[in-house]
Amino acid sequence: MKRLVGMILVLSGLLAFLVLLSAGFYLAAGWSGWGLNGLLNWIFDTEGVNRAWVYYGAGIANALTLLFVVAMGSGSLLTVAERKWSAMMQNRIGANRIRVLGTPLGGIPFLLADALKMLTKERVEPIGRTRFLFEMGPFMSFAPVFALFAVLPVGPGIELAAIVSEAAGLPRGTVDRVALQIVSLDAGLLYLFALGSLQVYGTSLAGWASNNKLALLGGVRATSQMISYEVSLGLSLVGTMMAYRTLRLEEMVVMQGTAALGPVPALGILVQPIGFLIFFASAFAETKRAPFDLPEGESEIVGYFVEYSGMKFGLMFLAEFVEIVVLSGVITAVFLGGWQPIVVPFSALAGAVGPFWAASIGAAIFIAKMIVVMWLQLTIRWLLPRFRFDQIQKLCWKILLPASLANIFVTGAALLLDPTPSRLMLPTALGILTLIAIAVITIATGRAPKAEAAHGAHGADHGAAHASGH
Amino acid sequence: MPYQLENRPPDLRESMYFPEIIRGIGTVTRHFLRNLFFSRDRNPDILERRRGAFGVADSVTLQYPEERQPYPPGYRGLHRLVPREDGRPRCVACYMCATACPAQCIYIEAGEVPDDPIEKYPVKFVIDELRCVVCGFCVEACPKDAIRMDTGEHAPPSYERSAQIWDETRLLRGPAVSYQYDPWLRRGSPSIPPEKLEEMRARAKPFPSVATDEYCQTPGFSVRVLAAEAKERGERAALAKR
Repeated sequence: MKRLVGMILVLSGLLAFLVLLSAGFYLAAGWSGWGLNGLLNWIFDTEGVNRAWVYYGAGIANALTLLFVVAMGSGSLLTVAERKWSAMMQNRIGANRIRVLGTPLGGIPFLLADALKMLTKERVEPIGRTRFLFEMGPFMSFAPVFALFAVLPVGPGIELAAIVSEAAGLPRGTVDRVALQIVSLDAGLLYLFALGSLQVYGTSLAGWASNNKLALLGGVRATSQMISYEVSLGLSLVGTMMAYRTLRLEEMVVMQGTAALGPVPALGILVQPIGFLIFFASAFAETKRAPFDLPEGESEIVGYFVEYSGMKFGLMFLAEFVEIVVLSGVITAVFLGGWQPIVVPFSALAGAVGPFWAASIGAAIFIAKMIVVMWLQLTIRWLLPRFRFDQIQKLCWKILLPASLANIFVTGAALLLDPTPSRLMLPTALGILTLIAIAVITIATGRAPKAEAAHGAHGADHGAAHASGH
Repeated sequence: MPYQLENRPPDLRESMYFPEIIRGIGTVTRHFLRNLFFSRDRNPDILERRRGAFGVADSVTLQYPEERQPYPPGYRGLHRLVPREDGRPRCVACYMCATACPAQCIYIEAGEVPDDPIEKYPVKFVIDELRCVVCGFCVEACPKDAIRMDTGEHAPPSYERSAQIWDETRLLRGPAVSYQYDPWLRRGSPSIPPEKLEEMRARAKPFPSVATDEYCQTPGFSVRVLAAEAKERGERAALAKR
């Protein structure tokens, strides 16, 4: 019970830390925007507030905080988390031999040990590699994943005046709202698809340039798998785009806060449960992790990165984890309501604690949801064995693709027939019905285990025979 | 543990695949949450550790260097030279153990007790624990119950081979033992003061009959009690199965 209390304290401490961290991010963004404006005013000897300068200043701060703290931080912490979490799922204890002042600190010091190992390892490169492409491989697999994080709306937009008190006197609309989002693109989701499909170059080039048959096999497997799943990945989100009528992720998050069916908000997972399942499965295949880890397939071929050593391998390894982080972010933003604190409406929260702290809490909620989805991805890794390659292709082309097409048509019909102005009531009702149906099928008990009963009956017969014999 | 799997075609729900995955996530999550929020049962008897219940983790790992499972009764552990109550070894340097030793890892140098011309004692008694094959013949051979392997521990690891050579200063340890037939108790010895001799006589035990007798074991370690416990455990398990 001591551990129970301790863990609850640790978890609430983590939440408080996330709120403070997000508050820090907002402060950094606001002051960076205001500071850049002041700096450029001083350089060009102008006065006043330039909208673009504030926007770019905030963007620079967001790029630093979100990419290097949130994405890289959680990506590298995931390497440790995978060891500890999978240990807990398998009833083990996990990495705990490095101790700081007598405590293993949840295995976090292993991060430093791993990094040190990767950096100091010997660099071995195969003869006959295509040098340029070989060196490019890790970059090509890491950079697109990393850039994906740019469009994720981690925190809601707030007025600059809530952060920088000097900006309070400005007339409304002089500057953009400051949000924890690096860029706000019109093409939001399309940007995600575009960069997501760039990733295949990294893996296939790494496999091809290594001058190794097994690496080539891994690269080919990765290519065919990722290109197949691109299709269902894209189609699974079409329903969401139709329902929210936007491609901007931040607008999707705002839409998810509106009440659609009585008090029930139009969360993505309620509006598009089938889309969520398909997207989750396809995204999983895109990350190339178990059960879709055929490109790696360490028991058959070592994978497309077999010839990479040291930090080059480390970069590919890290790319995989950052990819988990980014996909968790996308799922959170599109399906789980992003920074919306689902239980209370965001406006009520803002009324209670003020816009700055409400936005910080919202960003913390986003990160917390992301952590839960990351955890879910690791759970599935330890739940399912690796598929066979034909099963992977069959799952994509024969199950996920038709299902996502059907989902698009059903969503379209529901949107067309919906009587309410927001056009979200009927899809939400349909989605909730689907979720209930899935829950019922899941909870309903299957066939009774026959083997046990037969064994018991046999034993009873045996006992009876004994009794009569005596 | 292997269990019977019936080879049967999947039913409708199983072939739908997703519900079964969700159920699987439920199972894994249960394990995860129990291991996250509850601590392990640290009972040294790992077979008796509780698991799979609310309030206790599912993990039953024995964290080896920090937690140790006691060795079973009769375990031939590290040797010790059994002391008398006055702190000197019971050993009379008869060389029986060194002669019986198949690995020839025991080296003894005999000396005479200065004021007692008919009594010998080991000036040097060295065991090379790296050569020892842990057969226990030395314990069997000893006529004085002066060497035992009842410490319940193995030779501790070391970075140098020389640290594995145990001499009489390191070997002489553990609880003292006296028997009524001990010659120094029956006829007295000038090296033992009279009042100490009386005390030793009072605490002397009768001749040990069985090797696993509790007189031969470390105090607090009773084979009979453990056997009774094991029997009771077996009966309980049989009852539970029924």
